[in-house]
Amino acid sequence: MDKTISLTIKNLYVSIEDKTILHGIDLIIKSRELHVVMGPNGSGKSTLTYALMGHPNYKFKDQSSKIKVNNTLINTLAPHERAKLGLMLAFQNPLAVPGVTLGSFLRTAYRELYKNEKIDLISLHRQIQQTAKDLRLDEAFLKRAINDGFSGGEKKKAEMLQLITLKPKFAIFDEIDTGLDVDALKSVANGIELLQKQGTGILLITHYQRILNYLKPTHVHIMKSGKLVKSGGAELVKIVEAKGYADF
Amino acid sequence: MQTFSGLDNYKYGFSKPENYVFKSKKGLDERVVANISWHKNEPDWMRQFRLKSYQIFLNKTLPIWGGDLSHINFQDIFYYIKPTKDKAASWEELPPEIKDTYDRIGMPEAEKKFLAGVSAQYESEVVYKSIQKTLSQKGVVFLDMDSGLREYPELVKKYFGTIIPPGDNKFSALNSAVWSGGSFIYVPKGVRVELPLQAYFRINAANMGQFERTLIIADEGSYVHYVEGCFPAGEQISTGDQWVNIESIKPKDLVADDQGKLRRVKSVMTRPYTGDLIEVTPISAYNKFSLTPEHPVLAIKRREVLVKRKQRKNWQREVNSKILLNVKPKYLPARELEVGDFIIYPKIKTTANDLWSRETMRLLGYYLAEGSAYIHKQLKMHIVSFSLGENETEIIDEVTQLITKTTGKKPMKIWDKKKHGMEIRVYSKELYELCLKTCGKGAATKKLSKEIMEVSDDHVEQLLQTYFLGDGNICKKGSSVMCRAATVSEQLARQLQELLARLGMYASIFIRKGGKDVIAGRVITRKDQFIIVYTKNKRIGEVRESHDYFIVPVKLIRKIPYTGFVFNMEVADTNSYLVRGFAVHNCTAPIYTTDSLHSAVVEIIVKKGARVRYTTIQNWSTNVYNLVTKRMRVEEEGIGEWVDGNLGSKLTMKYPSVYLVGRKARGEVLSIAYAGPGQHQDAGGKAIHLASETTSRITSKSISKGGGRTSYRGLLHVIPSAKNVKSKVVCDALLLDETSRSDTYPTMKIHSQDVQIEHEATVSKIGEEQLFYLQSRGLTKELAEAMIVNGFIEPIVKELPLEYAVEMNRLIELQMEGSVG
Repeated sequence: MDKTISLTIKNLYVSIEDKTILHGIDLIIKSRELHVVMGPNGSGKSTLTYALMGHPNYKFKDQSSKIKVNNTLINTLAPHERAKLGLMLAFQNPLAVPGVTLGSFLRTAYRELYKNEKIDLISLHRQIQQTAKDLRLDEAFLKRAINDGFSGGEKKKAEMLQLITLKPKFAIFDEIDTGLDVDALKSVANGIELLQKQGTGILLITHYQRILNYLKPTHVHIMKSGKLVKSGGAELVKIVEAKGYADF
Repeated sequence: MQTFSGLDNYKYGFSKPENYVFKSKKGLDERVVANISWHKNEPDWMRQFRLKSYQIFLNKTLPIWGGDLSHINFQDIFYYIKPTKDKAASWEELPPEIKDTYDRIGMPEAEKKFLAGVSAQYESEVVYKSIQKTLSQKGVVFLDMDSGLREYPELVKKYFGTIIPPGDNKFSALNSAVWSGGSFIYVPKGVRVELPLQAYFRINAANMGQFERTLIIADEGSYVHYVEGCFPAGEQISTGDQWVNIESIKPKDLVADDQGKLRRVKSVMTRPYTGDLIEVTPISAYNKFSLTPEHPVLAIKRREVLVKRKQRKNWQREVNSKILLNVKPKYLPARELEVGDFIIYPKIKTTANDLWSRETMRLLGYYLAEGSAYIHKQLKMHIVSFSLGENETEIIDEVTQLITKTTGKKPMKIWDKKKHGMEIRVYSKELYELCLKTCGKGAATKKLSKEIMEVSDDHVEQLLQTYFLGDGNICKKGSSVMCRAATVSEQLARQLQELLARLGMYASIFIRKGGKDVIAGRVITRKDQFIIVYTKNKRIGEVRESHDYFIVPVKLIRKIPYTGFVFNMEVADTNSYLVRGFAVHNCTAPIYTTDSLHSAVVEIIVKKGARVRYTTIQNWSTNVYNLVTKRMRVEEEGIGEWVDGNLGSKLTMKYPSVYLVGRKARGEVLSIAYAGPGQHQDAGGKAIHLASETTSRITSKSISKGGGRTSYRGLLHVIPSAKNVKSKVVCDALLLDETSRSDTYPTMKIHSQDVQIEHEATVSKIGEEQLFYLQSRGLTKELAEAMIVNGFIEPIVKELPLEYAVEMNRLIELQMEGSVG
């Protein structure tokens, strides 16, 4: 991934069950950039992630709303088609899929995403094992059903493992940092850094600046009532830390 | 060699009564029941048992719970058809009417024998025999139920109908009255049968059918796993480069369709069938095939293509070639076919990918005919050698040249003065490997590889030319030239027929039976030979060639009474496939309007310390009522297990039961059900605790999609005197959409205080969220659904033997793709 590509969000209005949540979001994320979106509860942060990934319940309100990967419009694409273009979402609360092991799911997903490549399954498997080790996720989890009986921290690490393995061009993290202890937080932050180094453009949604102790965001945005009310650099994090969102 | 133009005598063909078989009339009455027993030559007690059961059947009402049974018409079913006698071993043993018929239609002896069913041996028979041998050494009895009754009357009498008495329910009564087929197994004390037993090993015996009856007795301390397979021998289907048995075709395989193009198989369906099969014999008797009367065959009716001239005495009215070639063939039910009609043999379309030179193709043709490839043990050299006659100078020269051209080596010539033979031999590892890879080794197993079957027509011609020069003989008769060749490889014969078709030659195949011959005082054992005949310049009989196919007249039509399974396939796009080279359509639903009934009874006795597992995966066509009663009696410390998968059928009602009669007996039921559009799976399990310290476990998983309906119906019964009883019932249902339905009907009769019972039931929907999660990782919606469903049934699938587990997953995936969601 040496070429810089961009994910463009233009005038995004999104509603769910006729209630408009996002009121015109504009954002451009490029390869290797780390965008952080912060904001109070109910400001529409999770809606943004779901709308980007193409959840069927989230409808575009305005004809002029656009999501593009480079010049490809992805507004009407199904989630798996967006994934094939390089978008991927790490869920806040990933669901369990009983009977399907994490390992076999990862292999299937990899094969779907990289259909045209020759895949060496053994080296893929070794790579997955190594990534799990780096994330301090026991290898045994690969043989367990996805998220079935996983603790909160284990779920987040499993999400991280999936994204690192599947190498998206744009990764969206929805509150990956909630409910993590210090060690887990560090491993997850390391994972994000690794992706960023590999060239992935990152959108990180968070409540807390805690994870930002380990990461260097290139852009920070404050979201309130479905709008990005302020954009800037890492200095915004300090303001939120000190005064909350009231001033924005 | 006689010609095949003798259509004139066909009017005699069917005047002979088929009096060597018994076919009961449609419907059921006391006489039909008595007749079945009489025809099977059963002991009096069985006859009484059947008659008594029939009375019970009449008096019982249909169950008012479960699925809708009101559409079963008991009077519209054939209850028994005695299959044609075991295949006659020789021509002499055939009934005189048949011999007479064949004589009148003037057929060569070899063809007659083949037609009469004195046909080739199957490889599986060898497998069967070796398994039977191992089993009988251990004292294990594994027979079809009819033979079991004949050979072990005392044992059968002692247990038959004791586990499931005729009065249990209306369908067990019906089965008890009219049963045929099924398995009889006895495992002696302490014997463990490690290999799962499958009905499929019993191919020679009576087929399993609509009213099969199985009795398994596992004596003390023994073990057996029985797998209820449904793999009867079906017809041979073209996959482009070869023919395979329809039952071995799996969804997603490629088969050739009516345009000779390869298409993907969407599903393979099975249903039990009792009735006539129509056997269609075209020119080239080897290509005859059988199908159900309603199965559509691509055909042209003779009456539509006749010339104006009146019929001449004893001759079929002639056809007009021009009209014949211009008429578009139509699909007609097999029952409407008559002798003289035309059926269609499409030419297989290939990619014309030439991997070898013309010279190599010519050399391979000689190799097929006269060559052998082997490794010289002492010299450790790879040898390809051609055995020719010393007078075949032209061939000797050409083979020598071809070898030099292809290998760059000069071959040796070895002259055998005594045998008047000339061997041409070359030491070449390359050629040795090429010959083996493309043509196979050994005369009987020679066959052409997929790559060879796909070369261009010009290259095919080179191969066939030299093959027929080597192996064949050519007779010239006036302006026409007839070529024939003989091979002991059946596979090769079919492939040559297909290749010749591509070059515009319709070849006929017939079989010369093997046997012992005395030649010049020496006894020589010959294998079956397959003779391929074609003519240049002149067509055989009335065969006509169009651009894409051959139009081949039907020479003979027979009705064959049959009880067993029949197959059908759904094929992508054209929904057609080739049976023994000829185009047929898949048997579409509106054509067979009658629903089938499969009503079996399975009784199992598990003696002290023994263990029996019984596995079934049914995938019936969706017009089958599958109403089966299964029960195990488990004695002290014994273990009885049912693994039961229900995917097909219109309505299934099946609740495998374990009766735990001895202390510490254990029973387990694992059940999977899938219901697609129009299907209702009413399944579950029963555990009856009649002794102390008994344990049971029932796990049921059901999936509904596209308006399908599943029900779990279970019974847990503990009698007052049973102490320290444990039981766990888990039933999970998965709904794939809003229109599908799932119900749970658990019944608990717990009359003892000292019990530990767990019951869990869940109904879940595949949520949008779960799908979204998997899709967001790049999986299509279909793949995501299939993955969730496979995960859901995984706890049961892992209990299946490997090949069944693979099959189960494949079937589920396919159901998910195929149905409207």
